[in-house]
Amino acid sequence: MSDDRILFEDVSKFYGEVLGVNRVDLSIPPGITTLVGPNGSGKTTLMNLMTGLVRPGRGRIRVLGIAPEEPERLFRLLGYCTQFDAFPRALTGHQFLYCYLRLHGLGHAETERLVWQALERVGMTEAAHRRVAAYSKGMRQRIKLAQAMCHQPQVLVLDEPLNGLDPMARAEAIALFRELAADGRYLIISSHILHEVDQISDQVIMLTSGYVVAEGQIQAVRSEMHQEYPMQVLVRCDHPGVLAARVFEQDHVVEVKMHADRKGLLVSTRDGERFYELLERLVLEGVINLESVAPADEDVHSVYEYLIGSEGGAS
Amino acid sequence: MDAKPVIELVGLEVCFGERTILKNLEGKFSGRAIGLLGPNGAGKSTLINTLMGFYPPAKGTARVFGHDIRTGIRSVRRLIGYMPENESFIAGMSAVEFIRFMAELAGLPPEAALERAHEALFYVGLGEARYRKLEEYSLGMKQLVKLAQAIAHGPQLLFLDEPTNGLDPPARQRMIRLIRDVRERGNLHLILCSHLLRDVEECCEEVLILKEGRIVQYSNLEEERRANRRFLELEIEGDGEAFAAAAKDLGCECALSAGRRLKTVLADGVEVRDLYRTAAQCGARIRRLSHKRDSLEDIFLKAMSNGNGGS
Amino acid sequence: MAVYKRTYQPYQGPLTPAWSRFLVIARQAHRRVFDSRFLVFFFVLCFVWPAVCAALIYLRHNAGAIELFKINVARLIPIDGQFFFRFLGWQGSMAFLLTAFVGPGLISTDLRNNALPLYFCRPFSRAEYVLGKFAVIAMLLSLITWVPGLLLFGFEANLEGGAWFRDNLWLASGIFLGSWIWIVTLCLLALALSAWVKWKVLAGALLFGVFFAAAGFGTAVNAVMHTDYGNLINLPQLVRTIWAGLFGVRSTGGIPPDSAWTALAGICALCLYLLDRKVRAFEVVRS
Repeated sequence: MSDDRILFEDVSKFYGEVLGVNRVDLSIPPGITTLVGPNGSGKTTLMNLMTGLVRPGRGRIRVLGIAPEEPERLFRLLGYCTQFDAFPRALTGHQFLYCYLRLHGLGHAETERLVWQALERVGMTEAAHRRVAAYSKGMRQRIKLAQAMCHQPQVLVLDEPLNGLDPMARAEAIALFRELAADGRYLIISSHILHEVDQISDQVIMLTSGYVVAEGQIQAVRSEMHQEYPMQVLVRCDHPGVLAARVFEQDHVVEVKMHADRKGLLVSTRDGERFYELLERLVLEGVINLESVAPADEDVHSVYEYLIGSEGGAS
Repeated sequence: MDAKPVIELVGLEVCFGERTILKNLEGKFSGRAIGLLGPNGAGKSTLINTLMGFYPPAKGTARVFGHDIRTGIRSVRRLIGYMPENESFIAGMSAVEFIRFMAELAGLPPEAALERAHEALFYVGLGEARYRKLEEYSLGMKQLVKLAQAIAHGPQLLFLDEPTNGLDPPARQRMIRLIRDVRERGNLHLILCSHLLRDVEECCEEVLILKEGRIVQYSNLEEERRANRRFLELEIEGDGEAFAAAAKDLGCECALSAGRRLKTVLADGVEVRDLYRTAAQCGARIRRLSHKRDSLEDIFLKAMSNGNGGS
Repeated sequence: MAVYKRTYQPYQGPLTPAWSRFLVIARQAHRRVFDSRFLVFFFVLCFVWPAVCAALIYLRHNAGAIELFKINVARLIPIDGQFFFRFLGWQGSMAFLLTAFVGPGLISTDLRNNALPLYFCRPFSRAEYVLGKFAVIAMLLSLITWVPGLLLFGFEANLEGGAWFRDNLWLASGIFLGSWIWIVTLCLLALALSAWVKWKVLAGALLFGVFFAAAGFGTAVNAVMHTDYGNLINLPQLVRTIWAGLFGVRSTGGIPPDSAWTALAGICALCLYLLDRKVRAFEVVRS
């Protein structure tokens, strides 16, 4: 059971007095798992703990059964792409990948093959013989990704991998991640772009100030929160007043808010099913003409707002 | 809309050594907020840097508010503010000192510079932290300082290069809100350069797309949105396949993905009500219905593929 | 209306004249320089020698003091070219030290965190930038070289009378010109090093290095090749040769003044070239 997950058992890490993460319990399955949280919440600390770059003050970590204290075994199946934009200055892209891959102990021919495979996957074959210092930011990002992937690890830990990529490169990278995840790999990605997190993640881990505040699939997390945070649905139609009157008759509706442009209604309800039923009835009876309906807070962004709020901004 | 164009490109060409980065750019742009998009290496930063006079044009020229960048670059620089993508500050100074210094360099008298520095810092939301040294700031705070120094001297055109770079979600929202506010209240034009299509969609009305040094697209987003009324996106609970089939029978083009997400174009004569009836008949429920949001993504992708054929 | 909404407003007030903008840099840098107590102390120390010289001039002319100390006026140091040559020599060394403390951080702080694009996106040229940084050191150095020098000259002229003044006006121009040659050389050297070396301490060390290593090398070349042309890279020697020419003192350098001027001009040109390469809004990395 423990060999097919990434496990954190009651892990704490302090840097002197400063909190990294505190009492973290996680069990990460295969697929794309995204770490979400403000800057300084512990995302990079978690990644460093997973890869053994820092040791926990307390608790136990196991990556597919291997402890991070055994880097010889661990890094055979783990690849790390950091958020920092720093490279040995004089290397070309190809040399960069080649040198680090040779450290795995592979022969020359095998290393070349894997390097070119990785370069192809990230679309950097043309620029491979130029120096990394001359690359644009997006190209450097892709080389970093290639470096993490080239030994075809089971686990990929990616710290803000889409940073600096243009929209097409983002789409390609996301497609690449999905491919890798479909193979049964474990992708741990940290990101600030919440609508992308929504698009690509299988599960989400939300952190703030060193604590994990939510973990799992986003719908599941949201439905657990329904008690305190009733479901919100945004409805835009031509007669919002009429809709509001009918909606107020329902006992499961908690709050109805009129949008500033008077064409939309934000309904908070404890029973989403019954609300949808009502809406269908009204549309079919011709009482209102619907422009759009959308759950307003089932995405990562809203859950983030509720659980983490606006902390972590400028003081 | 202003009658006088904000930016005019007249056969602009810029080279680095032997590589031609910007190739024969032409156009007159007068939008209030223009988004600048393009793949890496397309020349977005080069264009902005050339308009600010950091690179000389090899051929052709450009005009900002009527001032030619070849002959009147000083007048151009008097009217612009720049928020760079990379970290940009002077260590050892506090935010107030730094912004005041930059404002004085732009020509403000010392007392006015100090006032405007504090105003700008208040506006971007930097409180007591403004007296601490810049090297101690977090990334979000440094971004806010960059924005403050760009607006403190009251420019007419702002160049924003990846303003939400590295910001966490609440800070990003605050930055977007600030940018929109500056645009609306300040008699200010914006050029926003970003990789995040969402940012551009939220702040800009027009988009300029560059690829390999050429302009491949210039669109007005407002018009595009208005034209998209008949395009719908639905999320279905229940039998998505049956629903898609039934919708096709009605005459609507459909594209179903993941069994639940449906993109469709309403045929003439077909209304939303009909879709609901269809759903009820198939035993499916429409959980989400919206008009197509990602028009910018489509515009971008189309521009990229067009660019291939065109160049 | 009692509620005031604070929003962004464009600036509509007056602007400072364009030519004076470079002084903004100088003003701001001076504020920071005088924050350091060590520098303030050192700066004050630089006025000790001028004070001593002033006392000497005073003593020569004060009858009461002459009587009191039974000074033999004839044997006292005359106030002539030699006097000012030695004055400038000493102040010149102090100026070098002051530059080594103030100079290296000037451009490197801007380069280290990429602040140059922010300078140049304003109506501010590269020349104004360098001029502003130059003014930072130049103003300080002026205050310890030609300003006290001319004051001493004026003091002596006042005590000696109009005739002496007319006869020795060339001394005044010598002081002024000599000081400025030294100031320009020092400033350009310090700025060039500051632009190319990102760490203040290293740049400061290099400044010392350039001076003493070059001087040592030049002396070595002289010894080995039995020539005097090694002095062409010996900066202190070059300047002293020029000063000797200006003050009518016999030069010990062994190189003709023309060569000295040319060599100095060459060094300054090199520094300007180095500055031109580095002081740019944007760096392009060649692949």
